[in-house]
Amino acid sequence: MIFDYKTKYDADTSGHFGQFGGRFAPEMLIPALEELEKAYIKAKKDTDFEREFLSLCRNYAGRPTPLTYANNLTKQLGGAKIYLKNEGLNLSGAHKITHCLGQAILARRMGKKRIIAETGAGQHGVAAATVAAKFGFECVVYMGEVDVARQRPNVFWMEQLGAEIIPVKFGSKTLKDAVNAALKDWITNVRNTHYLLGSTVGPHPFPSINRDFQQIVGLEVKEQVKEMEGKLPDYLIACVGGGSNAMGLFYRFLEDEEVILIGVEAGGKGVERIGKHAARFRGGEVGVVEGYKSLFLQDNYGNIEKTHSVSAGLDYPGVGPQLAYLGQVGRVQFEYATDREVIGAYKLLAKTEGIICALESAYAVAYAIKLAPKLSKEKIIVVNLSGRGDKDIFIVAEAVKDKNWREFLKTKLT
Amino acid sequence: MNNIDKKIAVLKKEKKLGLMTHAVVGYPNMGKSIEIIKILAQYSDFLELQIPFSDPVADGETIMEASEAALKNGMNTDKAFEIIRNLNLRVLPFGSPMSTHKGTPAMGLPASRHPLVRLRTDKLTPVLVMCYYNQVFRYGMDRFCKKARESGVSGLIVPDIPPEEEKKERFIEACLRYDLYPIRVISPASGEERLRINAKYAKGFVYSVSHFGVTGTKSELDKDLQIYLRRVKKYFNIPIALGFGISSPDQIQKIKGMVDIAIVGSAIINTYNRDGLKGVDTLVKSLKNCTIQKENI
Ligand SMILES: Cc1ncc(COP(=O)(O)O)c(C=O)c1O
Repeated sequence: MIFDYKTKYDADTSGHFGQFGGRFAPEMLIPALEELEKAYIKAKKDTDFEREFLSLCRNYAGRPTPLTYANNLTKQLGGAKIYLKNEGLNLSGAHKITHCLGQAILARRMGKKRIIAETGAGQHGVAAATVAAKFGFECVVYMGEVDVARQRPNVFWMEQLGAEIIPVKFGSKTLKDAVNAALKDWITNVRNTHYLLGSTVGPHPFPSINRDFQQIVGLEVKEQVKEMEGKLPDYLIACVGGGSNAMGLFYRFLEDEEVILIGVEAGGKGVERIGKHAARFRGGEVGVVEGYKSLFLQDNYGNIEKTHSVSAGLDYPGVGPQLAYLGQVGRVQFEYATDREVIGAYKLLAKTEGIICALESAYAVAYAIKLAPKLSKEKIIVVNLSGRGDKDIFIVAEAVKDKNWREFLKTKLT
Repeated sequence: MNNIDKKIAVLKKEKKLGLMTHAVVGYPNMGKSIEIIKILAQYSDFLELQIPFSDPVADGETIMEASEAALKNGMNTDKAFEIIRNLNLRVLPFGSPMSTHKGTPAMGLPASRHPLVRLRTDKLTPVLVMCYYNQVFRYGMDRFCKKARESGVSGLIVPDIPPEEEKKERFIEACLRYDLYPIRVISPASGEERLRINAKYAKGFVYSVSHFGVTGTKSELDKDLQIYLRRVKKYFNIPIALGFGISSPDQIQKIKGMVDIAIVGSAIINTYNRDGLKGVDTLVKSLKNCTIQKENI
């Protein structure tokens, strides 16, 4: 059984990770959260549930994803050995499909006919639309207007998969506002709808549920590194939006205290100025927003501040409560990369390893590029490539100022 | 005795449906907002004043947009309390400890010369502050409650702090330390067990959301409303206030006898947006008239 795995860093029965987490939801949602928690506790003990989940992961989504030794990048940097966990090879292009499959089975078991989701980069939205198609759910995806514009390819794919996309026009028009819009829909349609929340955030039990589904990433990495190197890795690096890909990679290593865990946040245009980044561990304060207590970028009155990142998926003012806790107790170390470093990392990875990764994932790569040369050659770093980069074609083409692409777009318009 | 209880006693004696009206403090701007609140205070039994928040998860479009606008105009918790404190000079009865309060008056005017002063000082209109938990938490729980109390607030409506978090947060405890009633919000989604848990902590009245949804989204009343209210009555021995989507005298007429207090929020903002202060006056006056009419009219 994979779902009975526990660590000393888990939540208590009411969903608190130390001072973080909890279930700060309006009463309208508490019954639904209780229903979900009950369904999950029951499913966890059910071998049929686990069998179905693992079978879908393998035969539908394409797990296990490969762990690739980045020999060229390693050589160029001249330090620690870099391995890449290529989650971009999942169906729908990112790790997000994993928790979508898990939650879809739960939704079916609860008798829900409709799922809703929020999305930033669109990867979670595409994954949600994918499982909706597969399971026969009606699907509505909320997406901030800013993100609709910058991740347009994913909007198109979600529509092709049969989902309805509702652009969110309030607030900062990014991921957190999409979460708010989805919560409001859930409040209204809670009887027939499951909210397929896309990260390790939100009220209990979402942070624990999504982590449990995503733990398969770390579980595979552990076996793969053992097979290739005969030992545990020394460093694990993942980008951190809400935390689902990071918790997925880290979870099975939490109690291997010698393994250093590094989460990389969006430093945007620099972490000195609020509004220009999304580095919660630099400028965040404890708060209670969107149903959970964690670190949030906020003002003195508790209003959420604007955030910035080239990657829509990391452009979020809060962070998963378990990561906030792991940061506080020092088990996970948090670093950041800037927009500029990220574009550089993305390019370097493509040229040296032939892998076009999502901009979100490039944050983890960017930090690995800084870290590897400082380490000896025996050290092993595993970088989580949470997604592939197809969706970022417009952002990247603009960032690298590709003239031919621009000309091509012009011809398409006529 | 908390002013909410005092008011409820009066309503009971007069056998009247209470009216609680709502405003977002600072919407559309500081001055107009005070004008709106002034109109509401004239006709209402309770005032629900919402301190705008960036991420109001239980609110529909109307209140959300009003909150955004108010924040953009610089409204914040301190300013909101300042406004409320100065209102209370007017809405508390003579002889109450708060009416002799000598705080710094708002907008730099001495209290006695403030444009709203002396408005219905004989009328008891408890003020309840609505906000989200992060606003309380970030301000500092004790500091927030103390400030609310000093500003003459009688209760807090904070929808996103369920009783289960009380053990760690001690929010209800802080409220009661300052004689603020922590109003419980329940909804048709709440089953018997949820009602029982909330009833344990309820004070003053219970805020019953009328339907599945956020504020201001529906215009007709749920057909299952009566069944739901019967369930609520089984667990709460305090008055029931019904809100979310109540907008017209017609609806007030319909819920008479079913609940004790009617709450009107988004409809007032919508009316202001459409017809300005005059429209608000007409609407709230008609709502009030409806609440005091005899049942069979
Ligand atoms: C490819 C990819 N990586 C990472 C993230 C960030 O989310 P999380 O921190 O939950 O993994 C996203 C979110 O949209 C994403 O699409």
